[in-house]
Amino acid sequence: MSVDPVRKALYIVAVAALFVVFCGYAPAGEINHERLEPGGLLAQQTQESANDQLATPRFELLAQAAQVKEDEDDKKDEDVDDDDEYDDDDDEYADDDVKLISDPLIQANTDMYNLNDTLYFAVLKPVARGYGFIIPEELRVAIVNVFYNIRFPVRFLNCLFQGKGQKAGYELERFFLNTTVGFLGLANVAANYPHLQLSKEDLGQTFAVWGIGYGPYVMLPFLGPSSVRDALGRLGDTFLDPIWWIPVDFWTSVGIRAGEAVNETSLRIGEYEALKAAALDPYVMIRNAWVQNRNKLIAE
Amino acid sequence: MNKRFAGLILIFAFLIVIPLQGYAATPMETVETGVNKVLKTLSDPAFKAQSKDQQIATISTEIENVFDFQELSRRTLGREWKKFNAEQQTEFVKLFKELLQGVYADRLLAYSDQKVIYDKELMLKKGRAEVQSYLQTSDGNKIPLFYRLTDKSGSWKVYDIVIEGVSMVKNYRTQFKEILSNGSPDKLLEILREKSKKG
Repeated sequence: MSVDPVRKALYIVAVAALFVVFCGYAPAGEINHERLEPGGLLAQQTQESANDQLATPRFELLAQAAQVKEDEDDKKDEDVDDDDEYDDDDDEYADDDVKLISDPLIQANTDMYNLNDTLYFAVLKPVARGYGFIIPEELRVAIVNVFYNIRFPVRFLNCLFQGKGQKAGYELERFFLNTTVGFLGLANVAANYPHLQLSKEDLGQTFAVWGIGYGPYVMLPFLGPSSVRDALGRLGDTFLDPIWWIPVDFWTSVGIRAGEAVNETSLRIGEYEALKAAALDPYVMIRNAWVQNRNKLIAE
Repeated sequence: MNKRFAGLILIFAFLIVIPLQGYAATPMETVETGVNKVLKTLSDPAFKAQSKDQQIATISTEIENVFDFQELSRRTLGREWKKFNAEQQTEFVKLFKELLQGVYADRLLAYSDQKVIYDKELMLKKGRAEVQSYLQTSDGNKIPLFYRLTDKSGSWKVYDIVIEGVSMVKNYRTQFKEILSNGSPDKLLEILREKSKKG
């Protein structure tokens, strides 16, 4: 099945429609404590979230009242003291990040998490381990580098979408260096230059910079934690991704992606296991870690 | 002539540096010496030959020189800390310490062949500091690994680790909060006890 332009166009329209629908359903204000948004926006969001929650039946009345109160307190405090996030004397702060993201789909998400977890141990890990046993690490790292290099347009365009001209320039520099000296991206030559470090810009982050909130948290099959905004961003990014444009049939394309996942996993065996072993509630741990990491990426 | 000049500079440099070091370790020095010491122990053949219990005991003394687990526990529980009585607090600190030591030692060991770059230290408000270090991975990337320190106890001690923007304290706080919202402090302690038994 080759991908014809008409189908592609339909796909884009569908994504756009979905995006509008979902973001209308879950406004930016859902995230009450997003510290990393610009100040003006934050105040506005806090107000929105207060209104939104009062109109939302899924919270109990009491919880709502407490939440709204907390929002107000946080807002006040933020004006005075921006980065003092674990203030000693003020324990109000201590609880500010508990609900970084709304999770109304928690039941479905938990099921999906359990499925992903099972698949990881039953399929991905054994396959990646066997693969890692056969293919030397140097080659596996080189493959990761090649994929990263090919995806240059995704990062470059998203830098531009976010108005980050200098960063876009660095991306271009990095791409040239690694494609030429690094031989089609096999070697990450740019790693030797401090200003040419990895910068993972994507469409989800672009949406965030444009002022769109996370929307509800979603656990994606195979792909792991995300939010409505970032999942749609991911989908959108595939259109900027040259791998999508390679004229091969659908299943070959899926095969390439699966191969990439196996390759990456083979270099990271043990990481998920350690995280999980350290957690009291792996689902909550991953949700929180994902949002914290995401906030950092958006701020960069 | 040139040589004499260089010698003079060296002497001056020593004169400036020595009193500073004698005074008190900076946050960066605290982290760097602490981490290096733990890494050295972990890669020591004599250490590897020890039983698991001995290993944990050895490592915990070393980690305790760098970490302030009392402060770390208090911050992790946040407002909930006051709902624990003194006895429960003591047990919580002990169990949480055991859990974290295990994880931290395990992770340090996994990354022990990778280069650690100590980049800079930032002074934050109210006697707190952040030491920014990076792990250089085999594929040439840098993983940001930041330590948050407080000088509450008189010397600099770590109370939080932030890896790629993910604060450990905040992460556990979310999990504890979830458990404490449907359970008592005793319930949380029970879960931690189970966890440490499995170790």
